[in-house]
Amino acid sequence: MKLTRAEQEMLDGTHGEAQRRAMEGLVQLGDAYGAEDMVEIGYAHVHPGMALYAQDVELMEELVEIGAKMVVPASANVTNVDTDNWRLTGAPEKLARLHQRGVEAHTKLGCASAMTCTPYWAGHWPTWNTHMTSIESGVTIFCNSVLGARSNRDGFFSVYAGMTGRYPRFGYHLDSMRVGTHLVHIEAPLETTADFSCLGFHVGKTVGTEVPVFTGFERRPSLDDLDSMGVTLAVSGGVSMFIVPGITPPFDSVEAAFAGAKPVEEISVGQSDIEAVYDLFAGDAGSAVDFVHLGCPHASFEEMKDYAGLLAGKKVHDGVEMWVTTSRGVRSMAAEAGLLKTIEGAGAKVITDTCPMSCHFARTTSPDADIELPEPPMRTMVLDSAKQAKYVRDMVRCETLFTSTEAAVETAVTGRFVPRFGQSGGGGRP
Amino acid sequence: MSGTREIRARAIVHGQAEGPALVSAEEISFLGDLDIRTGEVVGEVPSIKGAKVGGTVLVIPHSVGSAGAWRFLYQLFVHGTHPAAIVTEALPDSSLVQGAILAKVPIVCDPAEDVLKIIKTGDRVEVDGTEGVIRVTQAG
Repeated sequence: MKLTRAEQEMLDGTHGEAQRRAMEGLVQLGDAYGAEDMVEIGYAHVHPGMALYAQDVELMEELVEIGAKMVVPASANVTNVDTDNWRLTGAPEKLARLHQRGVEAHTKLGCASAMTCTPYWAGHWPTWNTHMTSIESGVTIFCNSVLGARSNRDGFFSVYAGMTGRYPRFGYHLDSMRVGTHLVHIEAPLETTADFSCLGFHVGKTVGTEVPVFTGFERRPSLDDLDSMGVTLAVSGGVSMFIVPGITPPFDSVEAAFAGAKPVEEISVGQSDIEAVYDLFAGDAGSAVDFVHLGCPHASFEEMKDYAGLLAGKKVHDGVEMWVTTSRGVRSMAAEAGLLKTIEGAGAKVITDTCPMSCHFARTTSPDADIELPEPPMRTMVLDSAKQAKYVRDMVRCETLFTSTEAAVETAVTGRFVPRFGQSGGGGRP
Repeated sequence: MSGTREIRARAIVHGQAEGPALVSAEEISFLGDLDIRTGEVVGEVPSIKGAKVGGTVLVIPHSVGSAGAWRFLYQLFVHGTHPAAIVTEALPDSSLVQGAILAKVPIVCDPAEDVLKIIKTGDRVEVDGTEGVIRVTQAG
């Protein structure tokens, strides 16, 4: 790979062990993928250090010890514990203390310890053509598809990229990858962010890791709609980028999205496809539930406004635990706007830095045995995100029911499940 | 008597390692198919289900489960249950490569010969991930 003088110096160890190690890893990665050279990145969304896993926070601390610093704007991804309000979640103290060491390591690295999967709602908003890196697939797809930045789906090397300001030029850093493959015709009314969550979940299964181009929306999707659709495209398929002509920079038409070529496949999405995703996580209307979650991906300020509006003057039902998850940045904004008072006043908990599938509820991802995790307290969780519904079911091994935000709030208040379309669910829809 | 057969491959993750081969006819997901604490294959990988990957040269068609693969390979390393090296037919996803560099597990891919047929579970295999060479000595 062709390296600039500055990059060669990093590789040679001229600027210390931390940058040497990082550049050595990045060069190997670039060679593996046939990168000709490095790009200069303008943003890195990096590994937070996961307290649930053995030696993982230590991985970040070790970098601090050898002198690592973030040389570009950087934020840390969602993690396992609410840093300040961990007691509210029932997390073991041992886990919280270890996590707090991770936060300290990030502060020393010069990284915003945002600990969120939606750093953009907290101010990290990379612009068109900014090369970047992200460990969070939802951030990769939002930044590629809504902001026009350039990012691959990364792993730990997001940290190495942040430490050097470099990343090998391959994947979605190249124009040749940023071209549509599948044309998706929307033929269903999409009203809620949960409906957009269904759309992404459905289309991701069909397109795998390719680039879907969407056409036929009845209205311009909101930023929250696009966010909701992106994360499910990323988890059900492995999509890194979608294109909505007129939204995704710089594509102003379907023709431009395919660079003049023909789509490899055309797909139509109808109402039955959207309902089929709700049906994957269906339950009987009126059945008893004990946990309601909103905020996957981590809520935006606009979503906090929606939640406050829905919860104003209401009370979460006895025996129901309700979590709203968001970033610390958005939590502060919501507090200043008086929204937190409304949400918490209704009896919901506003949790930051983590979420049900990422926190100490996780069962199947081999958390460190030394942490001594308690059994998850809930039996049935109601959510407004197909991503969270899937992962909580798989990783926490608890029943999940998926509905709209509004219906989820009604569920929390009544203690009885309210489905999106009023169906009886479980295969018994009239 | 058995000789050693040398097979060229593409060097992906640098380093040298050797161990007994564990050959899977099916793809593997590092996110879910392996128990981190024991290294046991617990997922639906019929040809090697129940085997332990620790210390082996894992020979696979390709890996799936891209996003979190690096962390699970690294966790195998933390628990000492990781494979010594990986031979894969297809170019592995970038997350697995990142995990392998962290865990110092050499990887080669795109071998010049049909390794899934030539290499049998239990054969002695050396992998040079810097030069791009696989050396196979048949068992027994």
